[in-house]
Amino acid sequence: MNTLQAIQQQMLRAVIVERTPPIQTIRSDGIADAESRLDVYRQGYRIRLRDALKNEFTGLQCMTGQQFDSLLDKYVDAHPSEHYNIRWYGSGLAAFLDYARPWRDKPHMAEMARLDWAISTAFDAADEPSLGIAELSAIPPDAWANLHLSLQENLQFLACMHNTDAFRRAADAGAKRPRLHLFTRAHQVMVWRKAMTVHYRQLDDDEWQVLGAAMRGMPFAALCETLAQYHDESAAMPRMVTLLQGWLEAGLIRGLSAG
Amino acid sequence: MAITSTTCSGSLPYLGYWLGLRVEHYEALLANPGAVQWLEVVSENYMVSGGLPLVWLDRFRERFPLVMHGVSLSIGSTDPLDEDYLARLAALAQRIEPAWVSDHLCWTGVQGVNLHDLMPLPYTEEALAHVVSRVKRVQDRLKRRILLENVSSYVSFADSQLTEWEFIAAIAERADCLILLDINNVHVSAMNHGFSSLDYLRGIPVSRVQQFHLAGYEQGERLIIDTHDAPVSNTVWDLYTEAVRRFGRVSTMIERDDNFPPLAELMNELEHARSLAEPLLRDAA
Repeated sequence: MNTLQAIQQQMLRAVIVERTPPIQTIRSDGIADAESRLDVYRQGYRIRLRDALKNEFTGLQCMTGQQFDSLLDKYVDAHPSEHYNIRWYGSGLAAFLDYARPWRDKPHMAEMARLDWAISTAFDAADEPSLGIAELSAIPPDAWANLHLSLQENLQFLACMHNTDAFRRAADAGAKRPRLHLFTRAHQVMVWRKAMTVHYRQLDDDEWQVLGAAMRGMPFAALCETLAQYHDESAAMPRMVTLLQGWLEAGLIRGLSAG
Repeated sequence: MAITSTTCSGSLPYLGYWLGLRVEHYEALLANPGAVQWLEVVSENYMVSGGLPLVWLDRFRERFPLVMHGVSLSIGSTDPLDEDYLARLAALAQRIEPAWVSDHLCWTGVQGVNLHDLMPLPYTEEALAHVVSRVKRVQDRLKRRILLENVSSYVSFADSQLTEWEFIAAIAERADCLILLDINNVHVSAMNHGFSSLDYLRGIPVSRVQQFHLAGYEQGERLIIDTHDAPVSNTVWDLYTEAVRRFGRVSTMIERDDNFPPLAELMNELEHARSLAEPLLRDAA
């Protein structure tokens, strides 16, 4: 008799690999033979995994067009699902596109997959409180210099060499596929969730540098010095105010601490 | 066939006629709070850290009592039970205090690979002992009895020593768990394997059945495929009346997983279930 473990291992292999030796314990009868019966599971497996990817990678689908289906097939063939929740199946797609031919020669695809996945994970990331303008207004002027900004932990930043966010935006809007542009240097795209809505946008260089300084734990005075590298004295402070207002409205600031 | 009108399973309540909660019907259900009294949620959809899924869940929890129905417990797998999964399942149960928690009598993966399907077990003494010990561990972990649902299947095993209904009955008795009897799945498996669906019903212990599922299927070339994406078929309605005759008053749910119609259409199906069951139950009273 086959053990339960042996039967499960044989069936697993028969489902995820197209051609396997017949499994003797699976019955054929007048209704259907064993292979036809196993085919139901084989087909279902592929359909479910592909559907899960299609839900998550709408930007990549917009970017790749008709190649999308064959890309998914290759990923499904190469990557069995390891998480109990199919929602996580796409976690390895960007890395797959980094190394698998022919996509490794098209880095915009892995970049697109990373942005899609960041948006997907932001959707059900842990909820965090965010600071309001009123709480910021209550801070005395002389306390600002030593304040540290805590940003939302689910903020994500992606260094993009292409206009990948434009593809995702087109997919979200059901709009025409944009033309692919290669930048001369990387642009940062920030992904975050405010309340229940996921947002993403390209950052200006000065904003990225200031956010980076804040994440490294530098006090507010140091953030202003960072900004002064991009703006003259008269423009730096108004720019800081604009950035702060934008971050507050976007719900990016989780808290403030002194010292 | 004698009709049994007693409810089963001791302290668990009878919930009447209700639906599975699906995203496609969120707005319609909130706009029609009287449409159903209870809702069944797919556990895994809400085993997340935060965001919109939990906001919706809390909204429904404020208005409806809930039942949890999982698809990934993999109670029959020879891999170890997934402790992270159990912890999240327990946390969700603590959050929404469901009337009960159910999953499927199947395995969904092995060797660390998940097939995301409800894979059938061979009906052997070895599998029986394996599942019973795992059900007991899960029930200890959740501090409640669970319901296990019969799955539709497309393969059967020469190694099997028991019929499916003998296997399910033995698990329920030995592990002291309850049964979620999917009437559609009984029909699908009966047609695919050539057994009698009435024999199946007769083999299931009345006192263990806590819930019915009703759903639709697709007729394939040779096999019937359990799609849960179509209206309940006439054959399944007929089997449902037989099930009501045998099991009496059992909480009944329409389970639609795809190809979602407007809520009103599912409500009509639910009303049809009520119109079939209630006269039988009145006559038996």
